[in-house]
Amino acid sequence: MSSKSNAMNSPPNASQNSGPVSNIPGARIMAVLSEPLLHFLLIGALLFCAYTYLQSDTRSTPQSFVVTAGKIEHLASLFSRTWQRPPTRLELEGLIGDYVREEIAYREGMKMGLDQDDTIIRRRIRQKLDFIADDLGSQIEPTEEQLTTFLNESPDSYRIDPRITFRQVFLDPERHALDLEESMAKLLDTLKSDPIADALHLGDQTLLEHQNADRSKREVASNFGQQFAEEIVKLPLQQWHGPIRSAYGVHAVYITERTDGRLPPLNEVRDLVRRDWEQKHRTDLVESFYQGLMKKYEVAIEWPDTAAEEP
Amino acid sequence: MAQDSVTTDAGTINAEKTKKHFQKDAYSPYAGRNFPDRPLWGEMHLHTSWSPDAVGGGTRVGPEEAYRFGRGEEVISSTGQPVRLSRPLDWLAVADHSDVMGVMAEVIAGNPGLMQDPVLRRWNGMMNAGQDQAMAAVMEGIAAQSKGQLPKAITDPKLFKDIWQRYISIADKYHDPGRFSTLIAYEWTSNYGGGNNLHRNVIYRDSADVAKQMLPLTTFQTENPEELWKWMERYEEKTGGNVLAIPHNGNLSNGTMFAVETFDGKPLTKEWAEARSKWERLYEVTQGKGTSEQHPALSPGDEFAKFEIWDKGNLNVVPKKPGMLNFEYAREAFKNGLEIQRKLGVNPFKFGLVGATDAHTGLTAAEENNFFGKFPSSEPDPERWNEDAFNFEGRIVKGWELGASGYTGVWATENSREAIWDALHRKETYATTGPRMTVRFFGGFDFTAEDAQSRQPAVAGYTKGVPMGGDLQSAPSGKAPTFLVGALKDSLSGNLDRIQIIKGWLDKQGKAQERIYNVSWGDADKRKLDAKGNLPPVGNTVNVSKATWTNTIGDPELITVWSDPDFDAKTSAFYYARVLEIPTPRWNVYDAVHYGIKIGPEVPVSIQERAYTSPIWYTPQGN
Repeated sequence: MSSKSNAMNSPPNASQNSGPVSNIPGARIMAVLSEPLLHFLLIGALLFCAYTYLQSDTRSTPQSFVVTAGKIEHLASLFSRTWQRPPTRLELEGLIGDYVREEIAYREGMKMGLDQDDTIIRRRIRQKLDFIADDLGSQIEPTEEQLTTFLNESPDSYRIDPRITFRQVFLDPERHALDLEESMAKLLDTLKSDPIADALHLGDQTLLEHQNADRSKREVASNFGQQFAEEIVKLPLQQWHGPIRSAYGVHAVYITERTDGRLPPLNEVRDLVRRDWEQKHRTDLVESFYQGLMKKYEVAIEWPDTAAEEP
Repeated sequence: MAQDSVTTDAGTINAEKTKKHFQKDAYSPYAGRNFPDRPLWGEMHLHTSWSPDAVGGGTRVGPEEAYRFGRGEEVISSTGQPVRLSRPLDWLAVADHSDVMGVMAEVIAGNPGLMQDPVLRRWNGMMNAGQDQAMAAVMEGIAAQSKGQLPKAITDPKLFKDIWQRYISIADKYHDPGRFSTLIAYEWTSNYGGGNNLHRNVIYRDSADVAKQMLPLTTFQTENPEELWKWMERYEEKTGGNVLAIPHNGNLSNGTMFAVETFDGKPLTKEWAEARSKWERLYEVTQGKGTSEQHPALSPGDEFAKFEIWDKGNLNVVPKKPGMLNFEYAREAFKNGLEIQRKLGVNPFKFGLVGATDAHTGLTAAEENNFFGKFPSSEPDPERWNEDAFNFEGRIVKGWELGASGYTGVWATENSREAIWDALHRKETYATTGPRMTVRFFGGFDFTAEDAQSRQPAVAGYTKGVPMGGDLQSAPSGKAPTFLVGALKDSLSGNLDRIQIIKGWLDKQGKAQERIYNVSWGDADKRKLDAKGNLPPVGNTVNVSKATWTNTIGDPELITVWSDPDFDAKTSAFYYARVLEIPTPRWNVYDAVHYGIKIGPEVPVSIQERAYTSPIWYTPQGN
């Protein structure tokens, strides 16, 4: 983002749903939080609140929770994994005591908001949310219609290339620096006047194949260059053409046969389309899930002055 | 460039006369087409977020996106940058580390089964905290692995089985024969003795239903490559499938990659040599962590040996001791192979050459102007040239030393998993440092200068000789091997400077020797060989301030027939071709221009990209 202040506008009905701004990294509150004096004041305030809160809590009705038999078995099995033996009664009591402490610490810590501003906890929660969104995406079966639409929307990925069978005769521009046009004209004359001329021995020597049988456009491009491929798929059949330019020089070209490119019907490429649909669908779903969440927030970003120009 | 007539020791030959030696052009363009007519481009050493060191380094690109990128789609890199190849590859093998493959990604994701382990739960927290903490978790993991103290849950075979199944089914899912082939592969990563690189990539000919029948070998079972060969044998016996192994980074093995003794330090045996040459068909001669064709110290006369050299130490940058270099570079191994063959009757180091990236970014991006580094930290960024790519206790390799390299050209008969694997197996391959130049290399006893004038050199090549990776035996009396060698520039890269043929042979004392011949070169009207066979440099057109060059020097295509003038029919030899481009800008120059930064004077600004073919070996009769 390049502007100094950049607000993401929210729709009018979203404001009542606004959550705390601190959910968005880099938001205003974060900048304020980096002030040392504020840190000091906040820590003081937090401790005060915590103290009064704990005081008041002990006087209220105690909360209850149960350490279930299943939980205890789980604790025991964790112990066994580490120590390769079951815990003794005394050890198990210790584990239970520790678990009770952990549970209480967790509940009270959450009430105090200790989870906030903790990078590890924030990332883990975000990741869990990502997984939920990702799971949603992978469980949906595409309908026939969805696949057809997908195929029609990105036909280039599935289009079957034109295939071309052709011969070429090469003229090396370096060897014909002064008479390239003339030599090409002469070459074409020879080739055209004798339809079964011994083309193999005309022109200049090259590693490029003289006869190219049943090549896809893509293969032609990889051997001769993209421009050459684009041109020869348009040429009329059964006659010599030239000069056609490649990455190496100029050519006379004779197309014997060509199968036009086509967009295959869904049945022919179903697996490929489905593979790509699933991938796109998952990505889209995660994206729209987040876009939906974003709508609930109004985010203001205040760039510090020093970072105004080059973020 | 090509000439109308050439003079050889047999007299002057011209194209007109040559003609009659060829069959009349067949009317059917499909006739006579049983040989490979275009190189298929790809690589077989790409890591994704399923490799523990990659995901620990911040890689988020998994195998699916890696294959999508390889087949030409735009993807978003781990550092959030959109990236796409200049042109699609024809094939690709993702080869993640078999050790804890995919497991670190599960640790990060908080797989409930793994989170019961206190150590893994702690790592999960650290990884998700990112940056310093994540890096600390990675270092802890690497240390635990090298001490054999990884938490048991991580190496649980049940988990590995699930992950392997998913991994190979992704390769199958993206296998699209005729357009983009995928090969199942993994890397077995032995760092025996504290960072001595004995890594091998294992490449499958098979699809997932066969590959799933056995779990890959990990270094938890063994760090001994000889055990890997046994594993490969067991795999083939059990499943009826096929695998081959490709070692890499001999330059970081501190004298162990091509050692002339067994893993336990015993003398080599015939059986050992047979097993090695049976399973290790190829060697990855160029990649991001340096090129290991030949070290300049081992070949002081080779003016092009000093190329992307990494010789500070092994993977832990433990410095080398004198003598180690002799067992780290491909050409030395070819030479040592001849000596061993003389003693044992089998050449253990009879391998072909391939190039790959070894990128840990999930992105096979080896072009200088589109280089996406080795780890996310070396993805495009104004600082990447100056980062510490490796830092072991203060022994540092800098970011700029990473190479934007390489790819493999495979002469396969069609674009399918099986055809590509078969071509790899018969070593009909060549390595390049990134560009996609076409290189043909044939050896035989009957090539003549007119074959280089042919409009169909490959027809002559396959009819009268063997292609790269092949064997010549028992020279007809009075005849020396002849080689038909040609190269066509990459349409998007620099012109060609020269083709060299590098020969190694045993002298009268049974000691291996080497010699480099300049056999064909650009600007031949201006550049002549001197009395010693040396050629003046091609020049340099690189404009550093704009990151450009011009193809005003060199030639787009070179082809010739060369006959060995120093041939002795009684001694073994090998020959391979090295094709050099004219200088073009190195990746750091594109960085400097894009970011408008200054890069230190220690960093080279131009590079002569190159191709190395698999050798053709000559073995005299009765050897």
